[in-house]
Amino acid sequence: MSLLVAADQVDKIFPLADGGEYIALKGIDLTIKTGEFVSFIGHSGCGKSTLLNMIAGLTLPSSGVITLEGKQIKEPGPDRMVVFQNYSLLPWRTVRENIALAVNSVYGDQPKGDRRGIVEEHINLVGLQHAADKMPGQLSGGMKQRVAIARALAIRPKVLLLDEPFGALDALTRGNLQTQLMRICDENNVTAVMVTHDVDEAVLLSDRIVMMTNGPGAEIGSILDVDIPRPRQRMEVVEHPSYYSLRSEIIYFLNQQKRIKKMRARKTVAVARHGLEKVNLEIGFVPLTACAPVAIAKEKGFFTKHGLDEVNLVRETSWRGIVDGIAGGYLDAAQMPSGMPLWFSLGGHKNQNIPVVTALTMTRNGNAITLSRRFYDQGIHSLESFKEMLHATPDTQHRMGMVHPSSMHNLLLRYWLASGGIDPDLDLALQTIPPAQMVVDLKADTIDGFCVGEPWNLRAAMDESGFTIATDREIYDGHPGKVLGLREDWASAYPNTHVALTKALLDACRYCADPDNEEEIRQILSQRPYLGTPMEYIHLGNPNSKVCELNQPMREYAHHLFFGNGANRPSRTEHLWHMTQLARWGDVPFPRNWLEILERIVRVDVYSTAARELGLLDAKFTRGSIHLFDGTDFDAEDPIGYLNSLAIKRDITIADVLLDRPAVTVAA
Amino acid sequence: MVTQAPSRTQTRSNPVISSIQQFWQKRGGDIIPPVIGIATFLTLWQLISWSGITRLPGPLSLWTDTRTRELMLYPFYDLGGLNKGLFWQTLASLGRVAQGYTAAAVVGISVGVFVGTNPWFNKATYPIFQFLRMVAPLAWVPIALVALQQNQPAAIFVIFITAVWPILINTIEGVQQIPEDYNNVAKVLQLSRKDYYLNILFPSALPYIFTGLRIAIGLAWLAIIAAEIVMSGIVGIGFFIWDAYQQNYISEIILAVFYIGLVGLLLDRLIAFLQMKIAPTRN
Repeated sequence: MSLLVAADQVDKIFPLADGGEYIALKGIDLTIKTGEFVSFIGHSGCGKSTLLNMIAGLTLPSSGVITLEGKQIKEPGPDRMVVFQNYSLLPWRTVRENIALAVNSVYGDQPKGDRRGIVEEHINLVGLQHAADKMPGQLSGGMKQRVAIARALAIRPKVLLLDEPFGALDALTRGNLQTQLMRICDENNVTAVMVTHDVDEAVLLSDRIVMMTNGPGAEIGSILDVDIPRPRQRMEVVEHPSYYSLRSEIIYFLNQQKRIKKMRARKTVAVARHGLEKVNLEIGFVPLTACAPVAIAKEKGFFTKHGLDEVNLVRETSWRGIVDGIAGGYLDAAQMPSGMPLWFSLGGHKNQNIPVVTALTMTRNGNAITLSRRFYDQGIHSLESFKEMLHATPDTQHRMGMVHPSSMHNLLLRYWLASGGIDPDLDLALQTIPPAQMVVDLKADTIDGFCVGEPWNLRAAMDESGFTIATDREIYDGHPGKVLGLREDWASAYPNTHVALTKALLDACRYCADPDNEEEIRQILSQRPYLGTPMEYIHLGNPNSKVCELNQPMREYAHHLFFGNGANRPSRTEHLWHMTQLARWGDVPFPRNWLEILERIVRVDVYSTAARELGLLDAKFTRGSIHLFDGTDFDAEDPIGYLNSLAIKRDITIADVLLDRPAVTVAA
Repeated sequence: MVTQAPSRTQTRSNPVISSIQQFWQKRGGDIIPPVIGIATFLTLWQLISWSGITRLPGPLSLWTDTRTRELMLYPFYDLGGLNKGLFWQTLASLGRVAQGYTAAAVVGISVGVFVGTNPWFNKATYPIFQFLRMVAPLAWVPIALVALQQNQPAAIFVIFITAVWPILINTIEGVQQIPEDYNNVAKVLQLSRKDYYLNILFPSALPYIFTGLRIAIGLAWLAIIAAEIVMSGIVGIGFFIWDAYQQNYISEIILAVFYIGLVGLLLDRLIAFLQMKIAPTRN
């Protein structure tokens, strides 16, 4: 497929009546290949129609260029025919005359008979023979849009531009037209660009979906590849394993845009009080059993106790939300998977190095690997037999879910698979799925298993849709689970608040670790603002239930460890292990200056201050080297040598990673 | 509805009477009130003129007065000079209207299209057009006489200058109101200028143009009467009235007024009919 349309650093600025200007689009880079179907999706006013009009040449970019086959687009032309939302048929001409006007105008040099043939061919193409001599006013909306499509296709445009073509139609008509459009595009290898509001329409029709952020200064948020094979049938598409993840990806994106708009509108002035620089904090969390310290700090007043009396907890359903909140600066701090601070700092998010620091490890353990119940019934009870099954069925695409590339779940799952000789990228496909979605996907058979934090492993086991094949305690006992993460520039701007926040959460961790509080914590977590799931699924300790009844050697409930024995102290050795694993799977480069990075990211100083002020002087200083289930010990002496010694890995890049110094420096 | 009729007609009465009955049943409600209204109006008028409150003769005088009776019975007589039947008088006026109005339509539509498609010219001419259109037709008469020296071309000019504004302004409006989508279609298809005018601009602006034409024909007919009254010594229904007034033939004036009203109504209906044929209202 060759390159057809290319937009290079396109901006669009509209002058306003009051003399100002409105930046509609900013820095748009996009390429469209021949034969591709590309959709633009976004909220109203995000500039998606403007972008379409610029491809059409109806408006021109304020800066940057858009090219068609390498030639700059400077005016509209029939090689970029538009299907407008309100059809734009000429009401004084019949259906046939409307199409003929286009054909005669574009193919004026061809004999009359040929032109008439083209008109009739396209009337037939959209099945409107019976209405060819009717006036548009006598047609229904769906029929009018079919005429508009026929008119557009009749002049054989190089690219067909559709501006919310089915927006004004009822659901049934829309469905029929989508099917027809898809058939016509498939049969004629049409290149098409469509603006739409409709998520399902975008997934059904597109090869790629361009998601646009909100204006002003709208950009391309991200581009999704739709890997559903063609020709597509509406009912089959819905059953394709990618369908719901694509759909939820788009919906997540659109919701996120809506929330960003709301957050932009809200005042974000730092309220200083009690000798702290900022007491109004937005703290993100994902509803998991491991969010207990955050929930308890709020519910039991630990935030207030340490002076943070305007803390607002922001519930995100996926780690994506946390990532966007931290990257966009909408969250002050967040509960994070242990690898996320490094992942941010080393450029995991859109290749931007966003230094994110951690001063507190809030939980350890609490994760497990679950496989679908049908494997258990087939006698697959171990990693070894799982590998045999995978190698015996190379034609079947096996999928497993994890929650985020930087999460311990991903790293543990990959480590576990790789130590059993399974390549997690070649023998399997790992998919990022929000935690709460895992059990649903497992039941729907769209994934074969997952690695996720509690309560979801327990829930799968209790629902008998899956079984726990390995817990983290068997793979890497005492691994860091969730950490407190916040941006380095934030930490520099609010150093005292950082300590207070660490103290509040450390206090909450201590509370969580007391077995006397377990019932209360489970009860709090089961409430709507947190997990919103029945208490029977939430266990901090060993539930002694169905998980253990599976009579297997590897069976131990994933206890959460909230406090004690140096559990909360951020460990450079552990973060170095994360660094090697992230580099091993190609998520980020391994920094040649890893020592420097670790010193900046792992803020032991803040932890020590917080612990000392809480009077926790007995905390063990070091956790020593890391013991893993395959018998290897990881120590911090030679990470590059360690990486080289691994059998299953991706191409590893080793590079100097230069982090920007935060603009605000800490007062001495 | 009509199909019920035959069975009844064969048994009861002849078909002509039956169809009249049916027509009466259907349309009677629409016919009776205006007939009563007109009859009452004429009766009141007659009573008032009998009572002597006003010197204005009653409607019956049209028939009782010999001059008007002859004018009514012989509209086609022509004794040369200004002494012609009312048909010829009306026709002369209509001829002037036809010339002035045609010129107004040609100029109004073509200038309107030009100005409507050129925003700069629109801005430049807008105040002039708005100013000139407020000038009363009669005010143009002395100007026209001074400028053109002769009655006939001056009368035609007055009609032209009265009728051109509504046509011009509505055409400009119609061109500007062409939906952006139609223009976009034209741009994307790169229609030639001729194709654009024929297939997009005129069809789209036509309803507006016809609105202008309809307002203009009424105004043109009003203007000719006024113009002819002032311009003495020409054949035309306007001067006919003035002449009758000078000679105190009041019944003749009433008859001429009746002609003027009827012709104005017919002209308006004619343009409405053309509009329906050429540019039917669309949804």
